[in-house]
Amino acid sequence: MQTQQINHKNFYFPPGGILIWIIIFLELLTFGIALIAMFYYGNQDLEGFNSSRLKLNTTYGMLNTLFLLTSGYFMAVSVTALKKGDKRNFNKLLFYTVLFGILFLCLKSLEYYEKLSEGIGIAYNTFFTFYWMLTLFHVIHVVVGLVILISVYFGIRKETSNTTIEDVEASAAFWHMCDLIWIMLFPVIYLIF
Amino acid sequence: MQKTVTTTWIILIILTISSALIFKLDGSYVTTVILILSALKFLGISFQFMDMNKAHIAWKTIIISFITVFVMGLLLIVA
Repeated sequence: MQTQQINHKNFYFPPGGILIWIIIFLELLTFGIALIAMFYYGNQDLEGFNSSRLKLNTTYGMLNTLFLLTSGYFMAVSVTALKKGDKRNFNKLLFYTVLFGILFLCLKSLEYYEKLSEGIGIAYNTFFTFYWMLTLFHVIHVVVGLVILISVYFGIRKETSNTTIEDVEASAAFWHMCDLIWIMLFPVIYLIF
Repeated sequence: MQKTVTTTWIILIILTISSALIFKLDGSYVTTVILILSALKFLGISFQFMDMNKAHIAWKTIIISFITVFVMGLLLIVA
């Protein structure tokens, strides 16, 4: 395991690497434009969007935010532990990161189950088209992030692991991107109007 | 380092709960306050959790510009 420190002050070496940051900005831009479009349509049909939003459970949204923030916190401290060479603590903290990510998915699944039971699908109305598209797209990112973190978790336990600190930082950056996207989604979908 | 990250996490939790409580209030300022709180959370995650405070100033500028444009865009639609 290489733990050589990188000078992040260099423009070409942001934490996680330049490639992951290009992906992060493209993702943020995509979600940002979609949310602005949702807001625009909501402004055209205030009554319809307001009544639809009342069908959402804000407590679920808030709990999911807390799960992702806590997961992100464990991710950040686990990277710090790894930089100090404490692999055992890193694995423990990464386990908690994954656990809170799974809790997010469980609560999201419950929310989806309730909506589908009420007959609220993607074609219900404009608000719910945006709701399903944006939240499902985000859930796909969370699933991909969890797969990456689980592969890092098992990969780094190997005696002959060739995982570098850059690989771990890139995985962490992808996971934090899921937090950033959710931080943008939560107020626009669950709170505002 | 870990102390700063822990403090950031506590602040993020407080901001999230505050947003959920402010949402129940009536008033034209509610949207603006919720969006500003979200922008602060966004910056907290990027600068403390993602270590962007250690990155080149250009990256910091891009992040701050992005969230500012996003929040301003939403506020312009409401206005």
